[in-house]
Amino acid sequence: MTDLLQKLKNAVRSRSIHVAYVDTGSCNGCDIEVLACLSPRYDLEQYGIYVHNNPREADILLVIGCCTPQWEDKLKEVWEKIPEPKAAIAIGNCPVSGCVFNREGGYVNPPVSKHIPIAASVPGCPPRPTEIIRAVLSLAPTIFADYEEKKP
Amino acid sequence: MGFSIIWYLREFIRGEWLKNFFFAKTAPLVDPPYFRGYPALTGKECTHCLSCMMICPTPGAIEVLREGETWTPHIYPGHCIRCGLCVEACPEDVLDVGRVLETQHRDQTEISVRYQVTVKPEACVRCGNCVVACPVNKEADPQLGATGTSANDEVIMKIRNGNLWVIHDEKCTGCKTCEEVCPTDAIAIARVAEGTQEGKA
Repeated sequence: MTDLLQKLKNAVRSRSIHVAYVDTGSCNGCDIEVLACLSPRYDLEQYGIYVHNNPREADILLVIGCCTPQWEDKLKEVWEKIPEPKAAIAIGNCPVSGCVFNREGGYVNPPVSKHIPIAASVPGCPPRPTEIIRAVLSLAPTIFADYEEKKP
Repeated sequence: MGFSIIWYLREFIRGEWLKNFFFAKTAPLVDPPYFRGYPALTGKECTHCLSCMMICPTPGAIEVLREGETWTPHIYPGHCIRCGLCVEACPEDVLDVGRVLETQHRDQTEISVRYQVTVKPEACVRCGNCVVACPVNKEADPQLGATGTSANDEVIMKIRNGNLWVIHDEKCTGCKTCEEVCPTDAIAIARVAEGTQEGKA
């Protein structure tokens, strides 16, 4: 019976992934790709992914941008506001390497994994919407399935 | 009557409609064929000409590494912006991505790279450091004078009559050794990439 209940919970959780995104200083290219996921062409919500701009109701944080120094403490605050279980996905090259902004004189502080734990990264400048959706869909079951058993 | 509850129930409790409602996946999660992903190896042999590294606009995105007896280009996903320029610049078609190589063969396009040597005459003190440091000059004229004078006309640049003359900047390999040794930052090497189609400029 508990097995069945757990299976039901896992099935429902895999269809109810709440996502918040935070732009820590990007060129808006990746933001537009995330917004394109919402459009009818890709239609995020048919996969059960819902976008909120509120970390308190989110499960997954999409981090976009190369993390300017102003964002260092604020990104940590945003991350701490997300209730467990949670995961962060780095979208684009910027959170990984700083991309075009990480030049001499660039006032940025990549990678983002220095500031918050990053579970997955979607490289690309910008990544395709399909890649973003695929990353969220493949990460979510590993994080949220059987969450009660993983709790310490 | 078309607007009764029974009409609605019949309309909505249909197998196909329920299936669409619960399992609809409008866009398949596959990339279209014209999509430029990360450059992949085609299996042809790399000659270590480093054209790909020279044309690459992002720092740290591509590196040609030695593997046993052969050289292989490596792409680093967190840095690569998938512009496809390395695929176009490679003379041996070692890399391929999307339709770039196919289009390049169809249109017979090529990218050639040369280096332009610019000297600021008001900053140059004619010390001849750049002439002596240049590895191409050393190959062309082993008898190069310590002050940058040379009797040979095959060198890239030389000091003559108290002035620095750039004679053969087409021989420059872009190593930028001259920039490093110049005491006044008077010399600059610029990379000029030129795209041509069917031999026409």
